[in-house]
Amino acid sequence: MLRPLSLFALALVFAACGGEPEPAAVETPADTARVSAIPTAELPPDAEGPLVVYTGRKESLVGPLVEQFREQTGRDVEVRYADDAALIAQLQEEGDRSPADVLWSNTAGALGAATQANLLTVLPDSIRVLPGSFVPAGGQWVPVTVRFRVLAYAPDRVDADQLPSSVVDLPQTAALEGRIGWTPTYSSFQDFLTAYRLLGSDDAAAEWVTEMQESGAKAYPSNTPMLEALLAGEIDVALTNHYYVLRKKAEGANLDYTFFSPGDAGNLALVTGAGVLDTSQRQRAARRFVAFLLSPAAQAFAAETTKEVPVTAGAPSPEGFVPFETATNYSPKLEVERLRELDETLRLLRDQGLL
Amino acid sequence: MSLPAPDSGLAPAPPAPPPERAAARWRAPRWGPGAWLLALPLAFVVLGVVVPLGYLLVRALDADLAQTTELVFRWRNARLALHTAALAAGVLTAATIIATPLAWIAARGSRQTRRIVTLVGVLPLAVPGYVMATALLGATGIGGLLSTLVGAEVPRPSGYGGALLALGLTTAPYLFLNLRAALLGLDPALEEAARSLGMDRQRTALRVVLPQLRPAYLAGSLLIVLHVLGDFGVVSLMRYETFSYAIYLQYAAAFDRVYAAWLALMLLGMTGALLWVEARLLRGRAFARTGSGSSRRAEPMRLGAWAPLAWGWTALVALAGIVLPVATLVHWTLRATDRTGWAALAEALADSVGAAAPAAILAASLALAVAFVGVRRPSGRSRAMERVAYLGYATPPLAFALALVFFSLRAVPALYQTLALLVGAYALHFLAEAIGPVRTALYQAPPRLEEAARALGRGPIRAFAETTLPLLRRGLGASAALVFLSSLKELPLTYLLSPLGFDSLAVGMWGAASEALFGIAAPYGLAIIGVSLALVALLLRSEADRD
Repeated sequence: MLRPLSLFALALVFAACGGEPEPAAVETPADTARVSAIPTAELPPDAEGPLVVYTGRKESLVGPLVEQFREQTGRDVEVRYADDAALIAQLQEEGDRSPADVLWSNTAGALGAATQANLLTVLPDSIRVLPGSFVPAGGQWVPVTVRFRVLAYAPDRVDADQLPSSVVDLPQTAALEGRIGWTPTYSSFQDFLTAYRLLGSDDAAAEWVTEMQESGAKAYPSNTPMLEALLAGEIDVALTNHYYVLRKKAEGANLDYTFFSPGDAGNLALVTGAGVLDTSQRQRAARRFVAFLLSPAAQAFAAETTKEVPVTAGAPSPEGFVPFETATNYSPKLEVERLRELDETLRLLRDQGLL
Repeated sequence: MSLPAPDSGLAPAPPAPPPERAAARWRAPRWGPGAWLLALPLAFVVLGVVVPLGYLLVRALDADLAQTTELVFRWRNARLALHTAALAAGVLTAATIIATPLAWIAARGSRQTRRIVTLVGVLPLAVPGYVMATALLGATGIGGLLSTLVGAEVPRPSGYGGALLALGLTTAPYLFLNLRAALLGLDPALEEAARSLGMDRQRTALRVVLPQLRPAYLAGSLLIVLHVLGDFGVVSLMRYETFSYAIYLQYAAAFDRVYAAWLALMLLGMTGALLWVEARLLRGRAFARTGSGSSRRAEPMRLGAWAPLAWGWTALVALAGIVLPVATLVHWTLRATDRTGWAALAEALADSVGAAAPAAILAASLALAVAFVGVRRPSGRSRAMERVAYLGYATPPLAFALALVFFSLRAVPALYQTLALLVGAYALHFLAEAIGPVRTALYQAPPRLEEAARALGRGPIRAFAETTLPLLRRGLGASAALVFLSSLKELPLTYLLSPLGFDSLAVGMWGAASEALFGIAAPYGLAIIGVSLALVALLLRSEADRD
């Protein structure tokens, strides 16, 4: 009785695997030239050993890019995968004994915290000029990809023209009473609410949250179940991130997204990014790696894999999404690192009983 | 049976030996040639508690006095304590309701019944808490698995209820194993005496059998409560704010280690109080057999009219605790557009087992040393030693990992982010799970055999190795198995302490799931369950051989 059971379990595991290999990043000669063009002469020669990357990003994105970098530069790279929070705490405990050379994070908040803790070194202009925008004033890190907050909707039930032009008016829209989905406990929603506070005021944000609750908005634990609920007809619109919509659309789901009017907090851009650790003994390779992430091939690969938007001019947006410049124009103008002022946002959500 | 036996955090005080036997009680030479065999592992265990505590104090004292007062004395902490206590109490109740009937049937049913019910009682141990939580969330609500398959719209569990359900289902096996072993080990003579004195079956069960289960119940519940105190995966997915979730939020949202350290210290304070209460509850009670001759096994009972209820309950637990998570993972796998590569999965599997297996062996050895001094040299100090070993289990893993980062880089930088450090961290963190089974086995191994071996000229170490150690095999196996399963599911320690390039199944699962890439996450989850399932099957088989 036991043996068939364990065989069955094993069979399930096997059935779960196989399939397509990851698409490989495409290398162009220009990339190689670009990466090696990053000036490093003023830096001391690198220490022995592999380049060590600490990342909160997932392996399906990082793995192939690291492989590509290795092929281009002949440089060995080792990666530590963990979530951003654990990595920031770890880097702080490691201090100047840290083996890490590069920090590649999921959120600007984590990079802001790393900057605040003096973990990152200032990057040279040659790297800072590569992204189109969102480079923090201090220059300790560069954005790699961008995610945009959008309003997802069910096109079979909602006319996009009838949707409010500002997220502020969303809870007041009579037709959407009890039909809005949101994720108050999810980090990217909290980033949005932080932006709402910073663009307006704490009181305005608290009022908006109250109005949302009064409108009967349905709270979901994360974006994927919320979009499933949207498809299932439980709600008609959902405050979410653009790539969740693109991934669902790629699976053939009947849903769409829209921006609010330009500059609205509801269109907030959330960046992922990378920086070089101040304590790194391999500054040259670390710089090259960060520059490599901004090369056209790496950017295109990131867009294809994650459906996030590349930050360099000329790299194509993921299929079905507006170009980088267009999306950026929709996003409110806000210093990205200010999004780490999350404490007040969390307090607000707790006061409203949402957290 | 090689699974945990009746046991408690604190061993029930053994009945005072009659005067003439006291003199003959086994004694190891105080500083004999084998002393380091005990001293070394014990020092290691103490280090494993002192390092995290010391680290948390260092971080906590980073705050100035005014900030400290503000951090410690605020309403939120009281609410967190209340939430944590409420969840622990609720999970314990749920686990009791789930495990007690199953344990009874698994101990007293017919041979075939025993096997099936034991399987159902143990298997949820193979399901990581966060997989269970994710499965519950994915199966319920509109568009969930249940509504897709059977059209049933079950409301989505979240908050307290959700955390209770996920933790209750996944921790019930700790209680089940303890209760079942206690029931199996119970001398039927006791019950028969009660029946012969005119008590009916129900009263016998309530007034004679139940009190005898107390140490087993306390042992199981201690593990469950400590597990709940330290759990982060389930409470974060269910969004129920306990101490450990607040600690994580503090690291994650505010990137702050000071308040997190204070919270962790408060949590450890709660744990200490709990260990103390548990010790008090066991003081001065005798549970050992006093009759002579060997004990028998209770007669199998017939379920009779209760059969439908018993099987119904077993089926329900099997459905919720095993079928649901596995079905959810399979469902995700099948509809996924992205696939996990074979090579990645095989590599993660090899790395996971390569760290979990040595950790299991190390933990079992450490547990042997701790249990040895507790059982063979009972004293206030050795009892305190056992209690201390439980603290590591309740230390939030992220804080535990940061403590080891802090300590290893300063003391032994060469060890930092090596497999050795990871293995040591797993073993120290999960030691509490390993102590119980070893100690029970040690209680049952008569010192007389060892004395005979000494009399025949063996040295103390050889005498122990040749007489007692073989008797501990099953206990050690159970200890190692529990630690292996836990290490396989572990996350934060793996995140921070693993060697570069190390890929564990749990990290693969969590990483993809947190990006909502469930199709990629699911095969890792199935692999964890598959490996655990194989191990549990192996354990049960070794038991069946003995039947």
